[in-house]
Amino acid sequence: MESVLAAQVLLADGGSSEGGLFALALPFVVGPAVFGAIYGGIYRYYRNKDKRFTYERETDIHVGNLQAFDHHAGSKNRQRSATMSGANQDDPLTRVGRMEVR
Amino acid sequence: MSQPPGDPAHPSGSAEQRPAQPAEPAQPASDPAPDERIIDTDRGKKHGLDKCPRCGSSDIHYRVESRALVCSYCRHAWNEDNAERAFRLDTPIQELSGENVASGAQDVQAGDAMVTIKCQGCGAEVVVKSDETLQARCHWCRQVLSINHQIPNGAVPDAVLPFTLTREQAVEQIQGFVSSRRTFANRAFVREFVPENVKGVYMPCMVVDGNLHTDLRGTGEITTRTYTVQRRVSRDRTVSERYWDASVHELGRSFDILVDDLTAGSSRQYDRTDSSQATNYILDAVQPYDTREALVFNSNYLSGFTSERRDLDIDDLDERVEDKFLSIAREKARPTIAQYDRGVRWEREGIAIRGTRWVTMYVPVWLYSYYHRTAKGSYVHYIAVNGRTGKTMGSVPVSHPRIFALACAGGAVATAASAVVGWGVFLSNGF
Repeated sequence: MESVLAAQVLLADGGSSEGGLFALALPFVVGPAVFGAIYGGIYRYYRNKDKRFTYERETDIHVGNLQAFDHHAGSKNRQRSATMSGANQDDPLTRVGRMEVR
Repeated sequence: MSQPPGDPAHPSGSAEQRPAQPAEPAQPASDPAPDERIIDTDRGKKHGLDKCPRCGSSDIHYRVESRALVCSYCRHAWNEDNAERAFRLDTPIQELSGENVASGAQDVQAGDAMVTIKCQGCGAEVVVKSDETLQARCHWCRQVLSINHQIPNGAVPDAVLPFTLTREQAVEQIQGFVSSRRTFANRAFVREFVPENVKGVYMPCMVVDGNLHTDLRGTGEITTRTYTVQRRVSRDRTVSERYWDASVHELGRSFDILVDDLTAGSSRQYDRTDSSQATNYILDAVQPYDTREALVFNSNYLSGFTSERRDLDIDDLDERVEDKFLSIAREKARPTIAQYDRGVRWEREGIAIRGTRWVTMYVPVWLYSYYHRTAKGSYVHYIAVNGRTGKTMGSVPVSHPRIFALACAGGAVATAASAVVGWGVFLSNGF
């Protein structure tokens, strides 16, 4: 599905010669993508390798005594993406550099 | 395993910390570390007969339908006490300091798993292989003899969470799980699938409370302006390009966390991180368990079920548990960074563990195992049902030729459709 959307975007944005060539290449992109999506989707539904207990949300946890700082450090203009590079706020399981806390 | 704090938003800080009060002074198997306290959870009974409190019979079993231990002679039904209250494991987490270890969670000692029990009925000596079972019948007088106090091989936990889901309910759950996954299942699996072969298994796990303080540092961005620019790509054609301007902030979050009953599997064979021989991740996915309802351990709860001996110690698990604490910290920081609509990149994280409490527990799982024979050997697929809630998860071996056939058909249809669309676009562009 993503490749179909990407193709539509490219068809809309590209120059006429690029768009025409991409239109001819479309079946070679969409076919394998659909094959992969069906295979992967069924395999995941049967094997459930992605399933886990989301302990970070479901465990009984209380937080308090919050201290926060937010310092303005500069600006970035003319960014091409709506999200910052390296954003990891939605990925709590991936570890980053450790710091000592007392 | 604790009462919720009086004011969850403002747990007391380190200045108010007091050590947890153990139920009784304990006799640890080895000297504890300087900051380690042992909470004695041993029932203190001698090995041997564990009698019905009404008639004195030793023929006792756990009946799921009654949710109680039942005497086979007089039908008297009863339960052990709630472990949290009995061992005072419900003291406020914000008062935890150092490492508080229940006596059943102490390090497993390698050694002889054979326990010789002297039958109090007839005086015979009966050997129990504690690796495999915690009960045996005296071969002379036929009374049931039990392991009644903790032994250092990890076979006796601090608490047990008995089954509340019956075998029939578990079979129904497994049947339902597989019935929606038959079409593309391995044909041998479909032929050999017998859900009635499900086994009730008590799995060992560590239940951890934590009194923590965390610190997170990172960079966040807030959108200040979005705009569209027309860019000329040829003499007669322009394209629209969208841009974002952002303000960049260095940010830090520091807060206290009280974690109540975080669980960590403590069997090497069923380790969630090792799925090379079996689909161990399935056992993790059927959590959570209502660990607050766990009862003081009694071998009779295991009667009719199998149990897996604990063979992982706190030292084997503490790094993993610390990782979980960090993940919890990152998750709990999310509501505090909502203004950063372009995201936050956490760059450094740390945690100070002020106090922990470790308790071992048997949790109930109805487990269906399927040995899938492949060219490379065999691989075990599990379908597991949480013995308390009925939450079901499993792995069904697939038939690759069947999936391949459907994926090829889908791919072919998509190729044909996109060829029609692509050809139409190609022609409409004037070629």
